[in-house]
Amino acid sequence: MATRAGALSYLAWRALVAHPLRRLFRRRGTGLERFRAAYVAEGLGPTTPEDRAVGEAASACVACGLCELGCELAGAVPAVRALGLHAAFRLYSRSAAGLPLAAAALEACAGCAGCDALCPTGVPIARIVRHLRAKALAGRDPPVREG
Amino acid sequence: MDYDVIILGGGVNGTGTARDCAMRGLRVLLLEKADFGVGASGNSSGMIHGGIRYMLSDRHVTALACRDSGYIQRIAPHLLFRIPFLMPFTSRAEGATLRDRAAWYATEVYVGTYDLFQPLKHGKPSTRLSAEELYRLEPGLRPGLRGAVTLDEWGIDAFRLCALNALSARAHGAELRTWTAGREILAEGGRVRGVRFRDALTGEEGEARAPVVFNATGAWSPALARRSGAAVPMRPGKGVHLTLDRRYSNYGVILSAVDGRQMFVMPHEDESIVGTTDDDYYGDPDDVEATNDEVEYLVEGAASLLPGVRNARITRAWCGLRTTIYAYGPNEDALSREHQLHDGAAFGRAGLLSLVGGKLASYRAQSQEVTDRILALLGRAPVPCRTHEEPLPGGDEVPDPAALARAHPVAAPIAARLVYRHGGRAREILRLLEEDPRLGLVLCRDEGILAAEVVHCVRHEQVRRLQDLRRRCRLAVGACAGLDCARVAAQLAGRELGWSPEQVRAELADLLDAGWRERRPILDGAQLVQEELVRGAHAAAGAPW
Amino acid sequence: MVSPRAVAAEVLVVGGGMAGTIAALAAREAGARVVLVRRAPGATALSSGAVGVAPDPFALPGEPLRAARGPLEAARRLARLRPDHPYAVLGDRLEALPDALAFATRALAPLLAPPLERPRFLATSFGTAVPAALCQRSQAAGDLLAVGGALVVAGLAGHLGLDAALVAASLERYRARGGPPTFAVEVDAGLGELGLLRPHELARRLEQPGAAEALGAAIRAALPAGAGAVLVAPVLGLRPEAQVPERVAGAAGIAVAELLADVPSMPGVRLQAALEAALAAAGVEVVQGAIQGATGPGAPIAAGATEITAARWVLATGRFVGGGIARRGTLREPALGLPVQAAEGREAGVDLAARPAASLTGAARVGPQPLLSAGLRVDARLRPLDARGRPAAEGLHAAGAVVGGHEHASDGTGLGVAILTGYLAGRAAARPGGGE
Repeated sequence: MATRAGALSYLAWRALVAHPLRRLFRRRGTGLERFRAAYVAEGLGPTTPEDRAVGEAASACVACGLCELGCELAGAVPAVRALGLHAAFRLYSRSAAGLPLAAAALEACAGCAGCDALCPTGVPIARIVRHLRAKALAGRDPPVREG
Repeated sequence: MDYDVIILGGGVNGTGTARDCAMRGLRVLLLEKADFGVGASGNSSGMIHGGIRYMLSDRHVTALACRDSGYIQRIAPHLLFRIPFLMPFTSRAEGATLRDRAAWYATEVYVGTYDLFQPLKHGKPSTRLSAEELYRLEPGLRPGLRGAVTLDEWGIDAFRLCALNALSARAHGAELRTWTAGREILAEGGRVRGVRFRDALTGEEGEARAPVVFNATGAWSPALARRSGAAVPMRPGKGVHLTLDRRYSNYGVILSAVDGRQMFVMPHEDESIVGTTDDDYYGDPDDVEATNDEVEYLVEGAASLLPGVRNARITRAWCGLRTTIYAYGPNEDALSREHQLHDGAAFGRAGLLSLVGGKLASYRAQSQEVTDRILALLGRAPVPCRTHEEPLPGGDEVPDPAALARAHPVAAPIAARLVYRHGGRAREILRLLEEDPRLGLVLCRDEGILAAEVVHCVRHEQVRRLQDLRRRCRLAVGACAGLDCARVAAQLAGRELGWSPEQVRAELADLLDAGWRERRPILDGAQLVQEELVRGAHAAAGAPW
Repeated sequence: MVSPRAVAAEVLVVGGGMAGTIAALAAREAGARVVLVRRAPGATALSSGAVGVAPDPFALPGEPLRAARGPLEAARRLARLRPDHPYAVLGDRLEALPDALAFATRALAPLLAPPLERPRFLATSFGTAVPAALCQRSQAAGDLLAVGGALVVAGLAGHLGLDAALVAASLERYRARGGPPTFAVEVDAGLGELGLLRPHELARRLEQPGAAEALGAAIRAALPAGAGAVLVAPVLGLRPEAQVPERVAGAAGIAVAELLADVPSMPGVRLQAALEAALAAAGVEVVQGAIQGATGPGAPIAAGATEITAARWVLATGRFVGGGIARRGTLREPALGLPVQAAEGREAGVDLAARPAASLTGAARVGPQPLLSAGLRVDARLRPLDARGRPAAEGLHAAGAVVGGHEHASDGTGLGVAILTGYLAGRAAARPGGGE
């Protein structure tokens, strides 16, 4: 019980003295700025309504693989071909933090949209890949870009 | 005596204690009736938090918890991922009342005080957000919120945490047997003398002897204790989580359920999870399934702040039984999350220790405490604990996935999943491709599982049944429900373990059954479409039906 | 916005899988002008490419090769056991099953092998035997009761997709019941790096000049004495005109058959392609696109940039994969809002459609699951029924998986039901007022 009383009085001291002082002297920038500085660099950015709409559309994929019959993945290296761009757009779209790693694979898409008409559940595959590619390229550090 | 200590239960406390005991030179036998982490550990929310709620009772406990969270990052850096939480401010009235404002300020102070401990666990300081700022970070929140404070915590793959502790224990000389249940704790002259066990797969029965038995079987321990003439008081609570197929947001959201209980929607690896329920459970711990009303309770709670969750694809509902300290009277939420170590001496079972309660996040400190007690019971001189210094297997380095993808025939996103699960051992797994390029086959394009990873887990991670791979490398737990991976993984595991065709079929059926039990209560929308496809595909191809 | 192209027809078929195609072909044969609207390939393309009509309910599960009854007799027996199965609901019309199967075989003649009196027992990549009333020519030689000599399972060196040794060892258990002795071999067809190829890429590679012959030659070199037939992974080409199975068999000097496999299965893709070819050959106009604004037969309906008007419709929209039935909290039929029955028990079944998922499923995965066999309630003439059990709309018929009461995974009747109901619904739609 003594520790609990101690804990509560400590919190009271924080609330009445320490915290107001901290707010006065130690704040730099708005809450949003500090939050962004802390997390966006780690790939933990906000999910926009457009991201969410794309995610919902991609969630209708049942991984049947029929779309791959219409996808040549012409430019891809064997490991990316093996993964199958279109069957993997689900993997790529699941977490924004991993998207930069998928940039090369997403760039291998020729944009022919041959996949869309093959999807039994009506996933707008080409649109999803376009969105992910734009996002992956936007997040890429310019000096790293090759060529 | 065969062993110094026999540990019953392969959850995080059992495996963590086995590791600590083995590192301190004890001869250890661990018996797990199924597989590592199958109970409360693996089915927890998977968080290595810093014990923010202990600040209300004793802030030194918070400091210890934060320091331990830092230790876990040190020993398994690959397995943790950061979760920024938003704690939105709600108010019932049109305008915020003075009382609302006071409550928000109290929350801000509370989280701000927690910030003092955040450096111990490499956490980021909290911020207070205005309503406008909140909606810019999470536009999916319902209108009418007044702002928020943020909170930084860590998530972990709890199944792998258990497995890594087990593997480390094994590397330090412990003997670990999965799918082997301790049937009875044997006693003689007021002291325990060992355990009678049975291997569920071979039917082998036997007795192992040791002067100390540590019962860490969680929700199973009351029944085990009863069979052995002792008692372990506890109030098992059922906790249900839902998994969404993708990261609904990079930020966790703390919100209130319909009955005012606190719950959350939070990112977990590449998925999001919604949790959790907490209800007393008096049924069979071997037969626990999420029910319709639990699923609806969680969806309704999540949708109260994030209405879009109703459109998200729920891939499974899973549950575990927490073992809270027994108390008659308080409702489930008010029960202590602390742990207790019961000594069996009172029942004429000196040398029997039983653990009740505790948190995943504090497993290492709990294991240290238990190991200290075991050494004392054995009359051994104290040996310093090193579990916070020595990395868990693969925790010595975190390779760069892009570099691995350049060096090996594997796509970078797959390499990233491999590094997440295996840390430095991802290199070993990719080296398998040099001997056998066929193992570069991607079995699951949802979870990024390579054939090589399955082979590695089967060879080195104590896999005895196909379903163990659900926990080692997420085989057939993702949205596609085993569509691509199940058959080939069964073939690979069967070849490695010398299974007969009948065994391969039985293991495959068992794997598919396990998935079905978790999906049955949530089949809706796209996941129902998936179920039709998976069932049709497996039936057409003559899968065990 | 382009103004829609208007098309008038006597029969509109919605859905281009097995049921829709057979319905369109049957209506066309009966002389009707038919338009078929399809959104995308559906569950038929995702099938194994073989057609199961009915399991023999009286055969022991461990002894599938004893289930030698013909499809009609097996279907009759199933109907007696399962009063809500379409075979039972159809009543006397079930007797049209042999005609329907013959019709489908004719329509898909180059692809399908002529049926036998009994089902064929085809081996799968899990090493089990599955009965099939109809199968593709590329699958027929694998019939476990017809192999003269030993059956050799040939795995491709360098590819993990098929564990030939496991399949062969698994198939050995049928030997005591009339199956052949089985062996496994691994062949290296010299096709280069195969390890990371997806099934359709393997299939395309085998279509190339010389590739099928190289595989055949490698098989011939690896054959043990006494071999009667060879089983390979179901990757023998995507286009039937590439004649991959024939070329492999020719070079191997022995009958070669494909195993049945899970998705994506190339024989399933070929079956879908054959359906499309049959529609074109029969002069059925195919409109690509999802239907919008459907109110029922007689009223115009939009699909893509086309507006179609037809007095009689066949709804063959499939179940969940095809989108014919959807569930968001409750089961519904999206095109026309028809009531869905979610469980056996007729009227009661419709009320159950709003029940939670766990109430509509059993704890054991194996066996019938009301949620997975949900679909429209129909009468014996395949007219969808409204909540009161009366035909929901004039001129409306349903066929295939959109009709409830069956599930391929638990009763093995998927494509059989599609062929029979498609055949009956197509003829009924073409000849209103009877004369079926």
